[in-house]
Amino acid sequence: MRTQALIVFLSVLSAVTVFGQAKLPAYSKQSLPNGATLIMLRKPDVPLVSVSVLFRGGSEAVAAEKTGLAAITAELLRRGTEKRTAEQINGQLDALGAVMSSGSDAQSSMVAVEFTTRTSAKALEILSDLLLHPAFPDAEFKKVLAQRIDGVKSSKDNPARSIGQYFNPFVYPAGHPYARPSMGDETTLARITRDDVAGFFKTNYVGRNMILIAAGDFDPAQLGAQLSQMASALPAGEAFPAPKVAPVQYASGRLLLIDKPDATQTYFRIAMPGVDRYSRDRVPLMIINTLFGGRFTSMLNDALRVNAGLTYGAGSQVIMDRAPGVIYINTYTRTETTGKAIDMALDVLKSLREEGLSPEQLASAKAYIKGGFPTQRLETADQLANVIGDLEVFGLNKGEIDDFFSSIDAVTVERANAVVKRYFTDANLQFLLVGNASKIQDAVKKYAPKMKVVPVSAPGFSAPAF
Amino acid sequence: MRRILSLCVLLAVPLCAQDVKVTTHTLSNGMKILVHEDHDVPNVALYFFYKIGSRNEKPGTTGISHYFEHMMFNGAKKYGPKQFDIEMEKNGGSNNAYTSRDVTVYTDWFPKHTMELMFDMEADRIRDLSFDPKIVESERGVVYSERRTSVDNNPAGVLDEQLSAAAYTAHPYQWPVVGWASDIEAWTMDDLKAHFKMGYAPNNCLMVVSGDVTPAEVLALAKKYIEPIPAQPPPPPIRTMEPEQLGERRVTVRRPAQLPMVMISYHIPRTRHADSASLELLETLLSTGRSSRLYRRLVETDQLALNIRAGSQPSLDPGQFEFSAQVRSGKSPADLEKAIYEELAKLAKDGVPAEELEKARNQSLANLYRQLKTIAGKANLLGTYEVFFGDWNMVNKAAGELEKVTPADIQRVAAKYFTEKNRTVATLIPESKGSAQ
Repeated sequence: MRTQALIVFLSVLSAVTVFGQAKLPAYSKQSLPNGATLIMLRKPDVPLVSVSVLFRGGSEAVAAEKTGLAAITAELLRRGTEKRTAEQINGQLDALGAVMSSGSDAQSSMVAVEFTTRTSAKALEILSDLLLHPAFPDAEFKKVLAQRIDGVKSSKDNPARSIGQYFNPFVYPAGHPYARPSMGDETTLARITRDDVAGFFKTNYVGRNMILIAAGDFDPAQLGAQLSQMASALPAGEAFPAPKVAPVQYASGRLLLIDKPDATQTYFRIAMPGVDRYSRDRVPLMIINTLFGGRFTSMLNDALRVNAGLTYGAGSQVIMDRAPGVIYINTYTRTETTGKAIDMALDVLKSLREEGLSPEQLASAKAYIKGGFPTQRLETADQLANVIGDLEVFGLNKGEIDDFFSSIDAVTVERANAVVKRYFTDANLQFLLVGNASKIQDAVKKYAPKMKVVPVSAPGFSAPAF
Repeated sequence: MRRILSLCVLLAVPLCAQDVKVTTHTLSNGMKILVHEDHDVPNVALYFFYKIGSRNEKPGTTGISHYFEHMMFNGAKKYGPKQFDIEMEKNGGSNNAYTSRDVTVYTDWFPKHTMELMFDMEADRIRDLSFDPKIVESERGVVYSERRTSVDNNPAGVLDEQLSAAAYTAHPYQWPVVGWASDIEAWTMDDLKAHFKMGYAPNNCLMVVSGDVTPAEVLALAKKYIEPIPAQPPPPPIRTMEPEQLGERRVTVRRPAQLPMVMISYHIPRTRHADSASLELLETLLSTGRSSRLYRRLVETDQLALNIRAGSQPSLDPGQFEFSAQVRSGKSPADLEKAIYEELAKLAKDGVPAEELEKARNQSLANLYRQLKTIAGKANLLGTYEVFFGDWNMVNKAAGELEKVTPADIQRVAAKYFTEKNRTVATLIPESKGSAQ
């Protein structure tokens, strides 16, 4: 591996837009001998530093029956080292005014801390201790596990929260790395042992998986030395072998109804196969999704909320991860109007597919995405750290941001409409509903040839076999 | 709220004192304007704080302020139905709005070149809002759906509503901002028009602009578009004051749920009161960060609660200091309550060590300064200080106010407000309900 700074620091002022093109400010990137990547971006407008430590291999690096292990491991990092108890760590971070967060998503595990410039040395010493000498105390392990299991129960009392947990196990096939609820569930969490945590840490928190990003107001020489010392102390290990995963395909339409007998509103999602983060259609899909269900005047929100008053909000999402994901419609309506709202959502989908998008719609979506981009992604140091971390985890280059506006401009109406036809299908749609089954199941069974009903009180979030 | 906000996790830390510069101006029609320049991104945050909220409502029309917040997007004279959003989004902007007990706030975010359009559209809807009966009905359904999501299908929403309804017996803070379901079903066109006339006058509104602007640009547009709108009589003052509470009140909610929940409320003074800084530090000492007293005791040590929140909202009239916790499996709400009371009694009896108070001061400042990281955060903070403290410059004075608080203040304030007599408790008890197969 090379050990070389690729870009030297430039004076970074507010150079976010150049000729109307949003650009990442300059940053340095170097590879350390153990394979870790160290990135530093100076943004001295506020005396704060945000340090994010990412490790490739998130929940997809965990066996399905132990879902939740990646998140538990990230949490346990801050619950005791060889020389500090959890309580000491919490007290010391709070005393500095530092804020720490940790967790995992499908692709990565993460611990991040934000602190004031003047407390850099102390904050980094604590962070190093957590990363290099975690003790995973057994009492803390047991406590976290029990808390997480109750967290699962709590989420089931609120359908707006629980539908997101039921979604992945339903739309991805069993064995797919994304076929898991992000928080784990009562059954998978109960299977995790302290040895699993120590093992996950040892395998995944290694140099070859590590991306370390500092953004904010700091002295590059001083902070760079501290960070590279910390990062270099981890063993090189083996890079997470990201498995090849086939795109999602559905042989038939399915409907899963989670029965919550006291619900007065039905929450539902309608899913179809999507793309991965590398798809050449990713920018057209962002534009299409903006128009279909990604903003207030989108087709879905206009029909279901503004015209019909059926819901507080209707939208859509395109999930683009390392492996191909899904596209889905997401909304809710009162129990009595469940069928009407689903019909209307399907009508909107049909009109997108059959009528396509107009040049005026396309121009509006392009302006909307560009107008919001600076404040949504590039305004603060922690936003910038997130953007750069995302590029690194997915192995994308800076052009993803720096050429984003020109990629948007390059999407023609013909291209957009071809992409619409390719993905926005009415075949074999996947319906997930959380609501009062006794009142809606007869009305909704027509939407798919196969339907299953599962009580919300059943343990876990896993989908039944269809 | 008009739409659900996806809350980004912003991380915070104390900074050294910041000097936030603001240019102020009052138009001849009475609208005050605050302008803060920040050229970091080529965007602008434009906020309108109307001083009207659910405290200005009456039984029968509860929730109408919030409903009206929605109606402000449904068409005026020059920009008809849907046009506000269509024009805004196609020019790169987006918006939201929120309603509280005291204010209704409209929040616009857009690229700099869209600013004149925004002034034109904002002026149009303040001056000439239209009331289409069909849209009134459709929006009623939207608001009802919002209520179903935020209250009826959300245990915390139900419990909080019952808590405030019991804590206040006379003052309008007793009803929910979203409104009682029966009022959502019943309010009329006349109610809406009366509400508009009462609250939507330029002299009852504060404008805050933050971002890639100069005061001269803002003022020129304000003079052109907003100044010609005439002033009106402001909303009548709220006469009813909540009488002193004479003993603990308890409410129980029974509904299907996996875990119980407890909420506790104490009456406290309005935001513009000498005890505000002490109360803010008490909030931090009790529940900010994992080393805070209640988090340590309830979540980590006794493991009675899954989470704990404590604190108050800014308020024009005497408000509430609330505690909210989800009870762990197999643990009792009574034990959780007892542990909270023990911690509060400890503060009142023993006070707080200087070092712990210093930690809380740093954290409170952090909570303040993290809001200064974005132009949107600054617009909201400046407006909130101006409305609730009568002084936007609290943004620069807050550190000094926190600095003045002594351990003795914390002890006195805890003893004064956290009493059994001043307390209302709401408990959610899970009950089972059969599930269809």
